[in-house]
Amino acid sequence: MNNADTRILPSTETTQNIDRREFLKITGTGLLVAATLGVPDKRAQAAVSSNMRPDVGANLGAYIQVQADPANAQKNAITLYFGASEMGQGILTGLAQLVAEELQVDWTQIKTAFTPAGLIVDGKSAYGNPLFGYFQGTGGSTSMMAWYSAIRDAGATARQKLVAAAVDYFNTTALPPSNQPVVDASTANCVASGGFVYYKRGTAEQRQVLYATIASAANAKSAGALTWVGTSNVIGTRAKRIDIPEKVYGAAVFGIDVMVPGMTFATVVHSPTVGGTVASIPAAPTGSQLVPIPGPNGTTIAVGVVAATTWDAMRIANSLAIKWNANTSVDSAAILANAQSLMTTGTPSTNASELENVGDAVTAYAQATATIDATYQLPYLAHAPMEVMTCTVAINKAASPIECEIWAPTQGQDSCIYAAKGILGGATNVTVHTPYLGGGFGRKFETDYVREAIVIANAIGKPVKLTWSRTQDLRNDKYRPFNLIRVRAGGTGTGVDAAFSSLIYRNVSQPVNPGAEDAGALNGATGLSYAIPNRKVEYVRLLQGAPVGYWRSVGESCNVFAVESAIDELAKKLNITPVAFRQKLLASNASGLAVLNKAVSMSTSTATNGSATVPSGSARGIAYMEGFGSIVALIVEIAMDSTGKIKVNKAWCAAAVGKVINPDIVEAQLQGGIAHGISAALWGGVTFTAGIPNVSNFSNYRVMRLPEMPLVTIATVDVTLPSRLPVGGVGEIGVPCVAPAIANAYATLKNIRVRTLPFYPGSTMGGL
Amino acid sequence: MPTVSLNVNGKDYPNIQVSSTSMPLLWVLRDILGLTGTKYGCGVEVCGACTVIINGQREHSCVFDVGSAVGKKVLTIEGLTRPDGTVGDATGAAVQKAWIDNQVPQCGYCQSGMIMGATASIKAGKHGSSIASDLIGKHICVCGTYQRIKNAVKTL
Repeated sequence: MNNADTRILPSTETTQNIDRREFLKITGTGLLVAATLGVPDKRAQAAVSSNMRPDVGANLGAYIQVQADPANAQKNAITLYFGASEMGQGILTGLAQLVAEELQVDWTQIKTAFTPAGLIVDGKSAYGNPLFGYFQGTGGSTSMMAWYSAIRDAGATARQKLVAAAVDYFNTTALPPSNQPVVDASTANCVASGGFVYYKRGTAEQRQVLYATIASAANAKSAGALTWVGTSNVIGTRAKRIDIPEKVYGAAVFGIDVMVPGMTFATVVHSPTVGGTVASIPAAPTGSQLVPIPGPNGTTIAVGVVAATTWDAMRIANSLAIKWNANTSVDSAAILANAQSLMTTGTPSTNASELENVGDAVTAYAQATATIDATYQLPYLAHAPMEVMTCTVAINKAASPIECEIWAPTQGQDSCIYAAKGILGGATNVTVHTPYLGGGFGRKFETDYVREAIVIANAIGKPVKLTWSRTQDLRNDKYRPFNLIRVRAGGTGTGVDAAFSSLIYRNVSQPVNPGAEDAGALNGATGLSYAIPNRKVEYVRLLQGAPVGYWRSVGESCNVFAVESAIDELAKKLNITPVAFRQKLLASNASGLAVLNKAVSMSTSTATNGSATVPSGSARGIAYMEGFGSIVALIVEIAMDSTGKIKVNKAWCAAAVGKVINPDIVEAQLQGGIAHGISAALWGGVTFTAGIPNVSNFSNYRVMRLPEMPLVTIATVDVTLPSRLPVGGVGEIGVPCVAPAIANAYATLKNIRVRTLPFYPGSTMGGL
Repeated sequence: MPTVSLNVNGKDYPNIQVSSTSMPLLWVLRDILGLTGTKYGCGVEVCGACTVIINGQREHSCVFDVGSAVGKKVLTIEGLTRPDGTVGDATGAAVQKAWIDNQVPQCGYCQSGMIMGATASIKAGKHGSSIASDLIGKHICVCGTYQRIKNAVKTL
């Protein structure tokens, strides 16, 4: 076995995280095709005039370049440039697969690169996510949905332009076998395949030309009416991920690994109490500089510590006698009491996206023959990505305007740009480079750590890499909000005649966007495709609590727990099984029913690690969700371990995600989402006592380790999606069904209904 | 400032200036030698991201004093298959191949530690699923790649 054969050298042949200077060198060579997103001409014009993309007059968004390989003119170099962040969800690979298919080349021939972010015109980013209003950011499981059609169109455009250029080439160039040009080359007898365009392929008159040879000429050709290729040589296959080799060889550059010339190192100490401020900063110990980090209203909220290495900075940070003005307001008992009060007397939001009112739920509930009244409680959750918060900044104050370069493992490139302009001035020329993220999960949308790095770099006049300690990361998160959810559900009939007649649902939680509408708070509770004719779904804002942000699956992470637990609770009262009840509720939803039934059949078939009967001492629970453009049904099988705690042994997950671009990636995301969901359901939770969080490291924020991973069996189901789009989201959909499926299984196993998560608060885990 | 000399992946690094010989090896590797393949995840020996192999033994570089690494052979993720594609450590290179064949990583951040942990486990005589239940059972992967890790080590 020759390992060198399997080794693709990192950083030069796989993903290039190109910097701006290199980026500009690529312009003008070969064929450049943009993925058209209806970008206004004004942005394209601005791009041209700003030198970001001097010769691309076309619309921007993402683009494909075909040129000769600089190292070998007989080879094509085909590169996809785009602005989404790769955080393990595989978007880098998925989008590149689309390009490989449309250009009809072998998967190994595609390269990718992340475009530097920096150009925003009229609030829209040159490489913006069309599903985020052209804000450049990666999240909401939107990337494939956002880019699928545009990139296929761009690939088809490139292919058709190359064919058109080849037609000219064959009609004017002397080539074997006749050593003359032909006279009859046309798009009808030329075809692109494997990196060449062929004339009369498969005949004695065949000629071919390498894409790179005609790439420049192709720019001026018209693609004609676009047709996507009908092949599936790359799309739909288990194409090996582009970024995996460098991650396995330790060569991948994550945000925390960035090194720039002249760089120094820093960490930050935040207030020990949430919302506290600095009262006084001691003198900087030898070998360090201390930088106050400003907060609102002239306060200082943290202290940056700059030193020769990250460790020196952290060591010094731990020893600093900073005096703090404590803030004791964030307190879990107080938050719960407030939420409970709002549950009974709070005023629900009147924003149309924050309520649902169908039929007459109150009357129907009063007339129901069986009811449940259940209040569910979900804790603040930390993100705890394996890569802590980190950011590298280099500011060139000598330039006019000031130049600020940011290397951040960010999910929100545009937020970083606005953060820099807010600190350094609106005229600042900002470029954001996105290295790999060591986990995002929604935390890396936030710019707190980016702002800190900018402030520090600005203060010390040198490039700096800021790295938070794990303790700072867990204690200064933007947590998944605490949720208190009351569900009153009414039903009629019994057994096969059972019907879910009314749903009165009230969610009390903090909005992730205070001051703005927060439809996300009710995702997973509104627009249910279940046959529930009367519904009153409300949201009451909780306006005090810990800092909150987007956590993997956001609103669904809470509302699906409440809805799917409630369905089981009502089913029990109506004397119908959880599966049969859901089948009834989805009776006129063919797609949903297919997904549900697929999960059920997997769990009962030995071919899919299932069994016709549930093993003795075990129980199964089911949950269903529509969200992020996709449909998921999950069944878990649990038993109690030797310590009397839940062990999830098996899971069967059926998902409709539209066209499966890469089944391997879809499976990985579902497996990972399920693991994430189990951690959250069994152990996850952050509480606060007089402003102090109860977590300090993984030792007291327990997450799943390998022995706890169940055997997960996945199937995708090819049905029409609720959105009618060709693809649905994948990154977050594995999470929400886990907690309710476990709670439902537990209720079956122990006849105990758990409505407050996690199952085992205060769980710890030992070291190595 | 004290200086230390290290041998990392077969290469000598003389006269490394450190603020203290109790500086953890992790940060010498990352911030001074530029070998960023070994990762910081917790700093307290709980997550495994910092795993290296020193004189054949698995160690957590986040708590391993650089002073104690002097005179020993340090093996990091970069030393299993070298940047030029040649094999530095056959055991580790085989683990890396299994990781690629099974498409194990998602974000990939924890995987250096996982791979070093698996390599150390094999060097200590473990094979197949006992690698998973042995050392790798104590590593953390927040993305949840455990199923594929199990698949990969079964082949080793």
